[in-house]
Amino acid sequence: MSIAETDRASSPVIRRSAASDGSPAIITDLYDALTKRGMSLVDVTWEQQRLHESRRWSVVEMLAAVDLDSLTPLDRNLVWNAGRAELTTKPGADRLERQSEAEVRRWQDKNPTVASIMEACGTWSRYWNEEEAHHETVFNRLADLSGMEPISDETFIQFRQVFPDDDMLRTLVLLAISEITAAVNYGQCQHVIEDPGLRRIFKQVAADEIQHRNYFVSFAKALVDSGEYPAKDAFAVAHLFLREDGELHGSARAQLEQRGSHVNWWDQLEVGDNDFRPEALEKKEQLICGALKKITGIEVHSREEVEDTWMDLVGS
Amino acid sequence: MVTPEVEPYIRQKFAENAGLTEEQLFTADATLADVIASSPRMTNSIDLMEAFARTANGLRKDYGVRVRLPALPLDTPITTVLKTFLDEFEREQKEAAV
Ligand SMILES: [Fe+2]
Ligand SMILES: [Fe+2]
Repeated sequence: MSIAETDRASSPVIRRSAASDGSPAIITDLYDALTKRGMSLVDVTWEQQRLHESRRWSVVEMLAAVDLDSLTPLDRNLVWNAGRAELTTKPGADRLERQSEAEVRRWQDKNPTVASIMEACGTWSRYWNEEEAHHETVFNRLADLSGMEPISDETFIQFRQVFPDDDMLRTLVLLAISEITAAVNYGQCQHVIEDPGLRRIFKQVAADEIQHRNYFVSFAKALVDSGEYPAKDAFAVAHLFLREDGELHGSARAQLEQRGSHVNWWDQLEVGDNDFRPEALEKKEQLICGALKKITGIEVHSREEVEDTWMDLVGS
Repeated sequence: MVTPEVEPYIRQKFAENAGLTEEQLFTADATLADVIASSPRMTNSIDLMEAFARTANGLRKDYGVRVRLPALPLDTPITTVLKTFLDEFEREQKEAAV
């Protein structure tokens, strides 16, 4: 018997709606949701699905609204850099999926709640990957159409190199910070772009990145809440970015690591002839401190406090 | 002049945190990248950062000197790291004495 027939049998007039009430949102207290509130992975996935659906947009439609001939050299440079940077998100999402899967198996017997958190994260990686596909293609297509230096297949493949695995909490915090950096950069770009169609694209992508950050923060918080992952590791990653000459300074750093294994998009930004750099370091610092507060419950306000707190948490 | 026992103290702390013996760790040409590769406890530069932090915390606790290490590229030889640590220790110690 189908659901429709059941409905008809029990209630011929009133039709039950299968849609959920309330606007879709990220579950910010995932650990409590899984334990105290007894949410299942089906429930969690449903919330992911409807948030994803509610935020969908069309690359084709967005591109149609851009006036190609009005783009300035700076606009085109920003688009070109964004497209290259977004190329690195697919290996990130692929890796997250694989690593989550491995973590599920590792935790299944030891701590089933942690296994569920890992599964929720691995499941979400499919939405993340799909959303990043929009970013990558919208910028690369635009760079191509506006006559920017083409991205060779060699570069494309190089930017697809998979990041090495790391501890899951550290990975999630790094991804949260990467989304913060991207969101702030795109936000800064909006201020200097004149074409309304292009501005709208940057605005949309920045909004997506903020959602991604919120997801990474929620998974990271759930791991810390489980008691299996120490807050120290969240602070370590934040310090790695915020310290003097740290990762946050991206391609402006005096000395870049020659990795040969994978590409950190923040190392690859090229300024070109214009001197606009979407840095806004203070804003990023504040957003990273905010993420740490949400993940660990520990409040810090500056990179110095991040370092001090991390040193205290590390011990000797 | 650095307190003479500080160098062996730092060597020992580093080795302890890397899960290696001092002989394994302080070879003439080993870089930080080599240390990560040979350490059973280290995955990447975050672990290295943490090992330095523990060493610095130890120095603070046992000698009352606060040492801060700059961000060092992975091709830095471990002997240079040791020297940087000692120089910083000396500088901080002098500053504290003034
Ligand atoms: Fe993106
Ligand atoms: Fe993103």
